[in-house]
Amino acid sequence: MSSSRKVVELFYDVVSPYSWLAFEVLCRYKNVWNIDLKFKPSFLGGVFHGSGNTEPGMVDNKLHYMITDLKLMSEYYGVPVNPPSPCKKDTLPAMRFVTAIAEKNQEENVLVEKVSRELWKRMWQKHQDITQPLSLTEAGLLVGLSSNEVEELLTNAKSQPIKDKLKSVTQEALEKNAFGLPFIVCHVNGKVEVFFGCDRFELIAHCIGEKWAGPCPIKTTM
Amino acid sequence: MISSGKVIKLFYDISSPYSWLAFEVLCRYKNVWNMELKLKPAHLAGVMYGSGNQHPGLNPRTLLYMTSDLTLLSQYFGVPMHRPENLSKTDSLIPMHFVTAVAGKDKDGGDLVEKVSRELWKRMWSTHQDIVQPASLTEVGIKAGFSATEVEDILILAKSQQIKDKLTSITNEALEYKCFGLPFIVVQVDGKAEVFFGSDKFELMAYFLGKTLKII
Repeated sequence: MSSSRKVVELFYDVVSPYSWLAFEVLCRYKNVWNIDLKFKPSFLGGVFHGSGNTEPGMVDNKLHYMITDLKLMSEYYGVPVNPPSPCKKDTLPAMRFVTAIAEKNQEENVLVEKVSRELWKRMWQKHQDITQPLSLTEAGLLVGLSSNEVEELLTNAKSQPIKDKLKSVTQEALEKNAFGLPFIVCHVNGKVEVFFGCDRFELIAHCIGEKWAGPCPIKTTM
Repeated sequence: MISSGKVIKLFYDISSPYSWLAFEVLCRYKNVWNMELKLKPAHLAGVMYGSGNQHPGLNPRTLLYMTSDLTLLSQYFGVPMHRPENLSKTDSLIPMHFVTAVAGKDKDGGDLVEKVSRELWKRMWSTHQDIVQPASLTEVGIKAGFSATEVEDILILAKSQQIKDKLTSITNEALEYKCFGLPFIVVQVDGKAEVFFGSDKFELMAYFLGKTLKII
């Protein structure tokens, strides 16, 4: 029996800790579920602007809740999120950097996955900056890029095509009515189902005809 | 009955469809998890006002999302919500005063608040009937097992200052837990309290409780 893989798109920004949780779960499930996982690096600021939605942290009670929620989620999901992050939150340079990497390696996701994870670790686990070129260089080197490759990517990241690409991916999310990130788009039997946040995996599994076995289907350490 | 020392408080408003989902799951699980479920009828508009939050239904995109989300969820949860539009149209002060008055009459461990709340949710989100007129609330009360006279008393009680203050005080209790929306669930185990917002945190809640969640 052969069934075509179901396409699952993850729209994310490394400024979003919940995006990290969703990202790790989907990375774990990409070989468990019969899915074709596509990373869609986006810009959360652009999603808020385009949807007229506001940053949740602007409401004191929400901010307080998110911190306790993230602590318990991080434990349960086995992802080392360490809230709150004191880092600067302008992730435009970082997401352009990730976009440059995605455009350079269009057929394979591995580098995009590694760099995204490294950026999340910096901002949300180790509380290190991700806005400066030096920070992005460190992240690039850590995932195995050479310094020449990193320099080239940093230059590309500032180019108009890459700026436009990030904008267009963000616009793609907005066209599917996104109002925040993470935003997961599942394509099943010609239908499109959208899910916001990282608490919908049981429902996602049900929609794509797969089984949800919790956030850690295979024992891994991070 | 020996208390297990485990208490779940559910702050809810019948104008909140996600509260209905959370309510039904907790009603099903209270005996599976051996927990005491305390229903806390609150006022969503009061929570929004007190926390400075905005009702998500006011943003057209979140409204659109919630409509398709609730359609999927209601099927998956087995809760009969139909055409979940009009997310922010009806103010629930009158029905929530009614539920608060019923709570005053309900004995400890009684199920009248549960029955009345469910009936109100069905009217608002399933059959799309009025929930504000005295005749509507009378129908709800009778369906829950009250006599016509009892319902009349409850309707009078619901208009009293005592009941208005009670609803305000429960809403403030939720705000003291830093609530910003409903449903808001407070789980108390061994002197520790953990809060959960929404109807999609049950797996996390089960983890917190150290139990395995099973879908019946």
